[in-house]
Amino acid sequence: MKNMRNSTDFALLLLFVALAGWAVPGAGHLLIRETKRAIIICATVVGLFAVGLYIGSVAVLEPVHTAWYIFAGQMLTTPAVGVLTDIAQKGEYIAYGRPADIGLIYTIIAGLLNLLCVSNAVYMAYCGRGQLIGEDEA
Amino acid sequence: MSSALLAGLFTSPIHIGTDPASMLWMFPLLAAIAIIYKATKMRVLMWKRFIREVGILFVTLSGFMILAIVVLNLIAWLATT
Repeated sequence: MKNMRNSTDFALLLLFVALAGWAVPGAGHLLIRETKRAIIICATVVGLFAVGLYIGSVAVLEPVHTAWYIFAGQMLTTPAVGVLTDIAQKGEYIAYGRPADIGLIYTIIAGLLNLLCVSNAVYMAYCGRGQLIGEDEA
Repeated sequence: MSSALLAGLFTSPIHIGTDPASMLWMFPLLAAIAIIYKATKMRVLMWKRFIREVGILFVTLSGFMILAIVVLNLIAWLATT
């Protein structure tokens, strides 16, 4: 019974790490006290996404006329992209040509890199790495 | 006023031409990929070693991308002349 509760707690911890990492890039690593990694990941993913929006404007957040997997890729950055998309849809923002393409690529790559970071945070938590769970090997 | 200025940065796209200089936009992307890859791969993160490894990976990725650009342009040039 105790083992079952422990495994449930552990699964919940992994789920919480994954959700935190998706909600705020780097938060998954912060939860397992990998502070340096968390700072690097947050700055890089958010910075890359912001550069993408700077290049192509918020008009690159377009779930209606673009393929679903493009928007899904952008949404992997953080759920806050949904709020930004809502704002972008209400305004009359237009982007086309090369800036729109490059902006899309930047925002999608930011999302996919965050997916890599989320899976890494979950894997580190699962292996007991991170200063919260165990000592890292020098 | 500063928030309006900040919002203004993200409401209209910048101009990017079709000249070779537009290829420079790949470098921030390559840098981000190198940083995230090394941040997830390195078992112990020490700033000095991290920066050195990111630099090496960034130069390697950039080298291969430039090589790919040269080869593809050469093929396109040979095919059209």
